[in-house]
Amino acid sequence: MRKPVRLDSPVIEIIDVSKRFQTEAATEVNVLDRINLSIRENEFVVLLGRSGCGKTTLLNVIAGLTPVGDGEVRVNGERVTGPGKGKGMVFQQNALFPWLTAKRNIAFAAVNRGLSRKQADDLAGDLLELVDLAGAGDKYPFELSGGMQQRVAIARALALDPKILLMDEPFGALDELTRNEMQDELLRVWSARRKTLVFVTHSIWEGLMLADRVIVMSPRPGRIVLERRIELPRPRSRTDLMLLATYDEIWAALDRKAVTATPAKKVAS
Amino acid sequence: MTGRWQKRLADAAVPAAILIGFLTGWEAVVALGWVRPIQVPPPSRIVASAGELALDGFPAGTLLGEHVGITFLRILTGYALALALAIPLGLLVGSNRTLDAATAPIVTFCRSVATLSLLPLAVVWFGVGEASKVFLIGYGCFWVMLSNTIAAIKLVDPVLISAARTMDTPPPDIFLKVVLPAALPRMVAGARVALGVGFMVIVGAEMIGTTRGLGALIMEARTFYRSDITVVGMFVIGAIGLALSYGLTRAEAWLLPWQRRMHERRP
Amino acid sequence: MTPRATVFERLAGTLSVIAALALWELASRFVWRDPQILPAPSEALLAAARVLGPWDLAQHVGISLFRILAGFLLAALIGVSLGIVLGWSPLAARCLRPFVEILRPIPPLAWLPLSIIWFGLGEPSKVFVIFLGAFFPIFTSAWRGMTMVSPTLIRAAQTMDVDGARLLWQVAIPATLPDIAAGLRVGFGLAFGILVAAELIAAKSGMGYLIMEARQLGQLGIAIFGIFLIGVVNLVADHQLARAVRATVGRWSNV
Repeated sequence: MRKPVRLDSPVIEIIDVSKRFQTEAATEVNVLDRINLSIRENEFVVLLGRSGCGKTTLLNVIAGLTPVGDGEVRVNGERVTGPGKGKGMVFQQNALFPWLTAKRNIAFAAVNRGLSRKQADDLAGDLLELVDLAGAGDKYPFELSGGMQQRVAIARALALDPKILLMDEPFGALDELTRNEMQDELLRVWSARRKTLVFVTHSIWEGLMLADRVIVMSPRPGRIVLERRIELPRPRSRTDLMLLATYDEIWAALDRKAVTATPAKKVAS
Repeated sequence: MTGRWQKRLADAAVPAAILIGFLTGWEAVVALGWVRPIQVPPPSRIVASAGELALDGFPAGTLLGEHVGITFLRILTGYALALALAIPLGLLVGSNRTLDAATAPIVTFCRSVATLSLLPLAVVWFGVGEASKVFLIGYGCFWVMLSNTIAAIKLVDPVLISAARTMDTPPPDIFLKVVLPAALPRMVAGARVALGVGFMVIVGAEMIGTTRGLGALIMEARTFYRSDITVVGMFVIGAIGLALSYGLTRAEAWLLPWQRRMHERRP
Repeated sequence: MTPRATVFERLAGTLSVIAALALWELASRFVWRDPQILPAPSEALLAAARVLGPWDLAQHVGISLFRILAGFLLAALIGVSLGIVLGWSPLAARCLRPFVEILRPIPPLAWLPLSIIWFGLGEPSKVFVIFLGAFFPIFTSAWRGMTMVSPTLIRAAQTMDVDGARLLWQVAIPATLPDIAAGLRVGFGLAFGILVAAELIAAKSGMGYLIMEARQLGQLGIAIFGIFLIGVVNLVADHQLARAVRATVGRWSNV
């Protein structure tokens, strides 16, 4: 039975989620260890940590691409049992279909949703404009730069009219300049089409520039070690003292194996 | 644009000069009697024989065009049959891990069997006519195409499938609209290899027990000591191979408009 | 990256081979019952055991192996050397390229009649054709490999005062070894097919000849045995070659 969605009820609930993997050495690794997290509507949450801390696994569990071990994940009150159903995702590697043009890639998602061919094409055109690629609709992915490809990927995820957006280090493969541009792009698009967004990265600055809330995770076992809300208005400045202080906190947290998560503190604007 | 043409001309000049020099030397060496024309027919003789083949035919009046046509027909029939069987089978096996594991040893072994070694069997089953040759070509092409198709499906990038799943793509669509297009480039490469195999097989198959077809032509010519015709036949076979390869490249360009053209320096 | 085969999958593979053989055996005995159409595996083995002594068999296999080794080694030597030369010197490449491009499309088997004219019906004519079959893939991959040696490696070497002949021997050639290894494997596979064809068409000994002779005598069982023999020898030889490659070049590169 679906629970009625109240205004203040969380969109994503991660309840006591654990996941174990068997490594090649036949030992078990606790990739996720009793993770508890609630994400509100239209909140921009960043999962932050070094490689192997479980952040990508957690994202895949939310997406339904990886089955949860113990515990459960709810999106809008419903248990997650598989991918799709309004859980849009942008991957780190190029996941655009190479045999479709940019426009067709985006339309693919829309057609799956049930739109007609024409409606899908129109929507694709709108989204291409939104991500500033109005003229590139008829290009194949291989003709586009890395940054452009990721913009198409974002547009494609948006074409689903998703309830939540999940992004797995989407700018990881880009050079620093392009990455900065893309961060601005993402914020612009997000303010135009606000969605609940969970974003995975290993870059502390990326997290600080983008997030409403930063969740820091540490590996083996994968646990949340720190949570910080960042209520500074965007765009943010790297020279803001509060931000720098938070940077230091996060850096320290990543460096040690923390046992308990410290309660969320607000960074005053 | 004259600069480009001049450069092209200059680039072609050295190899052209060498080629012409070689041909002239070849002609001279035979004319001077250093080498017997039966061993090494001079270029002039080869050209003349080409004309003879085209107009008078050899042996017993079979024109060059006929030989070409028959070889072509045999290859294309065997190839088409092989592909028609191998592609659906390959798609099926490649999509199912158990089937793939079960059939892998059989496929590997059948691929290692030298196709032409089946010639005696083919003759027993199908007689000495066209069917046995088509069977051989089909056999050779089939196993190559099958194993390549299976590999093509298995090597589809999993992130594409994950992406499709996040978009609520129904499973039949995942296969038809994602796996299949993603596997297509490797399948086309496999088709190219299969064509090469078929080509090799037909040349060998035609050397036994038939007088029509390019393979038969060059073998027959030997028994009549017409080495000049043999050489013509060899070049024609080469040309056919190039034509087939070119045809396949065009088909590939039409099937795969999204492929980045590999502009590597070709040796 | 395909995961390694599980026990179940290995079992499935073995079972299906056994099932296929069993099916064949039963079909041959009960469905068409005529050894002239397709003898059962057991019958094929028996026929072969009756007619072929171990010494005969060894001789045939031996001569086939000799031919292919001779042709292959020759092709490896000449193909690799020529490929390296043409890959290293653009001038040599330009001069010899037209000959290569004209000769390459001609399938090696098509050389057989000419080869017989040149060398008679003895061993050299077959070894020559096998040589040609292995030569082109080996030569092409060596050539291509040389032209595609990472320019970064070359530049790095040059900053260390390595130039000229040292650059060729100590940098370019080692860098090309993986490509050469791949070409050797392909060349060997092709050579094998050509060996069989050549022996079928124009030989008086060897595995291919065995099959031809068996057919002429109406001994289909022996022909089947010969076919399988060739398949097995091919697999084993390729396996050994792959092992050798993995043990040498494979230690530091992906082959």
